[in-house]
Amino acid sequence: MISDAPALQRSSDTAESAAAPSRVARYARPVLGVLLPLALALGWELVVWSGWSNGRLVPPPSRVLVTIVDLARSGELVRHIAATLWRVGLGFAFGVVAGTLLGAISGYWSLARRLLDPTVQALRAIPSLAWVPLFILWLGIFETSKIALIAVGVFFPVYLGVMGAILSVDRKIVEVGRTFRLSGPAMIRRILLPAVLPAYVVSLRVGLGLGWMFVVAAELIGASEGLGYLLLDGQQLGKPAQILAAIVIFAMLGKLTDWLIEVGSAPFLRWQDAFGRAGGA
Amino acid sequence: MLALDRVGKTYPNGVEALARFSAEIRQGEIVAIIGGSGCGKSTLLRAIAGLDRASSGTVTLDDEAIASPHAKIGIIFQEPRLLPWLSVADNIGFGLADLPAAERRAKVARALARVGLADKAQAWPRELSGGQAQRVAIARALVPQPEVLLLDEPFSALDAFTRRDLQDHLLDLWADTRPTLILVTHDVDEAVVLADRVLVMRPRPGRLFDQIEINLGRPRDRNSPLFENFKRSVLTSLDRSLDRSVPDRDATLGPGQAMWW
Repeated sequence: MISDAPALQRSSDTAESAAAPSRVARYARPVLGVLLPLALALGWELVVWSGWSNGRLVPPPSRVLVTIVDLARSGELVRHIAATLWRVGLGFAFGVVAGTLLGAISGYWSLARRLLDPTVQALRAIPSLAWVPLFILWLGIFETSKIALIAVGVFFPVYLGVMGAILSVDRKIVEVGRTFRLSGPAMIRRILLPAVLPAYVVSLRVGLGLGWMFVVAAELIGASEGLGYLLLDGQQLGKPAQILAAIVIFAMLGKLTDWLIEVGSAPFLRWQDAFGRAGGA
Repeated sequence: MLALDRVGKTYPNGVEALARFSAEIRQGEIVAIIGGSGCGKSTLLRAIAGLDRASSGTVTLDDEAIASPHAKIGIIFQEPRLLPWLSVADNIGFGLADLPAAERRAKVARALARVGLADKAQAWPRELSGGQAQRVAIARALVPQPEVLLLDEPFSALDAFTRRDLQDHLLDLWADTRPTLILVTHDVDEAVVLADRVLVMRPRPGRLFDQIEINLGRPRDRNSPLFENFKRSVLTSLDRSLDRSVPDRDATLGPGQAMWW
């Protein structure tokens, strides 16, 4: 009996202490993720500040920040961001429209799939950057070729996502639509579209990510404005702070636009299991 | 009246799933179709539902041939098959899209209350238990007031207690409008508790083997000796249907001749 008491006490202790960390963990988890980059940035800042390194090739965070502020003050930053956003936006729009249309046709209609899909898959196997010389020859060195390149990058994940999603719609759910005698358009609107939406949103996000990747490629090849131009300019004039500034802004814009898709689609995807959302967050 | 006349189904791969199945089912009758696995009972139900076309014979409801899903025929599957992106209320109202919104809402509210899920109207299907989800499926099928309701092993995925509960509940709902119920099951207990008549099928190819009238009043006591008797006769028939040495009852009849009843 006596020896039991401490064990009992201990078990109630652990129960309490298990509850307490879970409350802390809710805040601690995001903080943990920030800890490493923050420590690295602060450490490097200190190293440069104390004179152990001149920070010429790897500028400290403060210098990157100053560069961003300077660019913003002069109005340069807005111009570059606008140029890049415009390209990504247009390329993304064209890529999404084409990918959605062809993906939907291929998914819905098996004859079209047999006709179309092998060609699309073959084209997909080509590294997209290989198109660059051809696009420049065909479309010139200015905006059109850049937007075309971005659109190509966006097209494939969207096409695959839409086609795959339509093909994997549960036959049993489609049958429910049939038993209620839905017409073709009603079947698409009331069964297929909602069923396909989660996978579609994922493919849009993947497509957008590739869009950002390809805008850098396009702007590195030749541009007089845009964030990619800032990268190239920084390299040629030996301004690593400017390169890092552009990278930071790319990261922020990429995250921001991805977040916009996530937030914009959230009201339509509330029905999905909380499990998936918790995993994504 | 639902009339099945020599309904047969041969799949493109040559498998004959159903052969010359004939039966007449009165309006408001509850018929259970029972049989070993592969006896074509689901195939038959899908043909009645108009989901799959029979390769021979005809299905007629009130002299109207059924070849595609029909407004007067509802179906409940083994799984609830709720649409995960619609709330429980919207799932129940799925077949009422043609009605004005106010009327639809009223009907859905009544159905929700009737299946005891009024508090779940705005819940998502994923938040329901298996039994609750199947209740929603029953409400969704019943709310357009079909003349015939087909049930394809509707309670087989549920635990024994929930199954009994839903069997009683189904009878209760049936009494409201008295549609014809055609229930495919492999559960003898379920067949005897629900049905006016049990059709026993035998496999390869699926065909009618026997039918047993269940002359018991409702509600039925699952423990009464009479109930046990009916259960035993269905079981015996089911055993004989799986015994290849027992000849078909209509085997003695030439093709095209009337069935024995």
